[in-house]
Amino acid sequence: MTTIQRIWRLRNRLIRLSGTKCQDCGLVTYPPKAACPKCGSRNLIEIELPREGEVLTYTVLNIPIKGFEQYAPLIIAIIKLGEAKVLAQLTDVKPEEVRVGMRVQATIRRTAPTLDGVVPYVVKFKPIRGEEADLKEREAEALTA
Amino acid sequence: MRDVFIVGVGLTEVGKRVDVALRDLAAEVVVKAMEDAGNEKPEAIVVGNMLSSLVEQENLAALIADHTGLRGISGFKAEGACGSGGAALLAGYSLVSSGLFDKVLVVGIEKLHERPTPDTARGLAYAADADYELIYGISFAGLNALVMRYYMDKHGVTREEMAHWAVMMHENAYHNPYAQLRKKITLETVINSPVIADPVRLFDSCPLSDGAAAIMLVSEKYRKLNDTPVRVAGIGNALDSPDLSSRFELDRFIAAKLSTDRALRMAGVSIDDVDVAEIHDAYSIVAAISIEEIGFAERGKAPRLWAEGRFRPGDKPVLNPSGGLKARGHPVGATGIYQVAEIAMQLRGDFPGLKVGGEVGLAQNIGGVGSNVTTVVLRR
Repeated sequence: MTTIQRIWRLRNRLIRLSGTKCQDCGLVTYPPKAACPKCGSRNLIEIELPREGEVLTYTVLNIPIKGFEQYAPLIIAIIKLGEAKVLAQLTDVKPEEVRVGMRVQATIRRTAPTLDGVVPYVVKFKPIRGEEADLKEREAEALTA
Repeated sequence: MRDVFIVGVGLTEVGKRVDVALRDLAAEVVVKAMEDAGNEKPEAIVVGNMLSSLVEQENLAALIADHTGLRGISGFKAEGACGSGGAALLAGYSLVSSGLFDKVLVVGIEKLHERPTPDTARGLAYAADADYELIYGISFAGLNALVMRYYMDKHGVTREEMAHWAVMMHENAYHNPYAQLRKKITLETVINSPVIADPVRLFDSCPLSDGAAAIMLVSEKYRKLNDTPVRVAGIGNALDSPDLSSRFELDRFIAAKLSTDRALRMAGVSIDDVDVAEIHDAYSIVAAISIEEIGFAERGKAPRLWAEGRFRPGDKPVLNPSGGLKARGHPVGATGIYQVAEIAMQLRGDFPGLKVGGEVGLAQNIGGVGSNVTTVVLRR
């Protein structure tokens, strides 16, 4: 189980999707680093990554780690977001609908409670469908909430 | 730097060892390794272990030294996730080659069956990035599954080709008295086994294991403690990101290549000289990438080669005559020590399972999803 301290520290990065960009070699990295993994430069700036991208690879976990049982089958993907890659959960999609190359967009959702029982929000990714379908989905969510 | 020799090894049966306390499991292999080395006592002990906190026990060097009549010697624990054994060997090697000590006992130990499986599985995921990966609930199997799908897609590898690895490992382990899974299986066993983290199935994965292994490392002065000392000709370690997101290439383990290159260069041998190797097949995908990064196969080709029958006894190199992590088992912090002890015994000619012999052997121990890798080259 994660802690409230960790969620609090990461609150901006997890919601805004922050990466770091090397001012010397140009490499964009997620998660953010203190120095560039490619050239070692410490001359980095924090940037916001694009919020739309495509699935590079994914897995469906029938047994997530302890604390995440409620999300099984849990779909985790590595998503290409501009020049960076981001590992995150996919949501609003059935396991059998996920495809490599599928276009997805960031959405802010609840995740498993921390040790202290706090329910944190993180960025997850959902498929980009037509706007109409999206609206229906949100209506359905509002109804079930 | 001084030459370092292996003059004693001790292994215990890998499996569900709830019958034995951590300290007694360690004592069994410490005593065996000392007896193998002419009953000589070490001056220091280095313990490889990842998750002893699960059994509410840290300070392992003190615990094990005291329990085995070695109170007063020097020591500490080394940790590098599933590569903890390799990390302990790197430390032990350095202590001897530097001249600080002449006799160092490297002990690997892990007890994963003390706690309910969900607790253990969560602990194993601590090898990943806690802030940016664990926060989504992904398991260690899940992280390997992400790499497996990417690799299979990119290189056009089939499900059946991947499955051959497990079949071969079970065949090898069948002869190994220390192995956890001593039963032969078929391709169907693998392909029809339950999905843990798609595309990783149960038989693509190593089992949960308890186990311990010990190796006595000595300087030239003490090489005669054993009739057939084996020289640690080269050792190399390399690190990569614990997270997958920032990897330059998802189908590669750069640290495995770097550590191999370092170990081979130090040993002054080429990859073609290697007769036998124990590689880190925690998942069949890890075996494939490890084989390719070491240089036994071209990128994307390892599964095709093993499906065609390569790497079995009689071939050069023979891979994992022990049965590998897949079937010998993967007592996490002890695995790297098992691998090197098994290779030493192959070169000495007294491995109690499949004997393949040889002059040059290699062991590769991988922590995390390729983030902490130690490669060791041994010569008879």
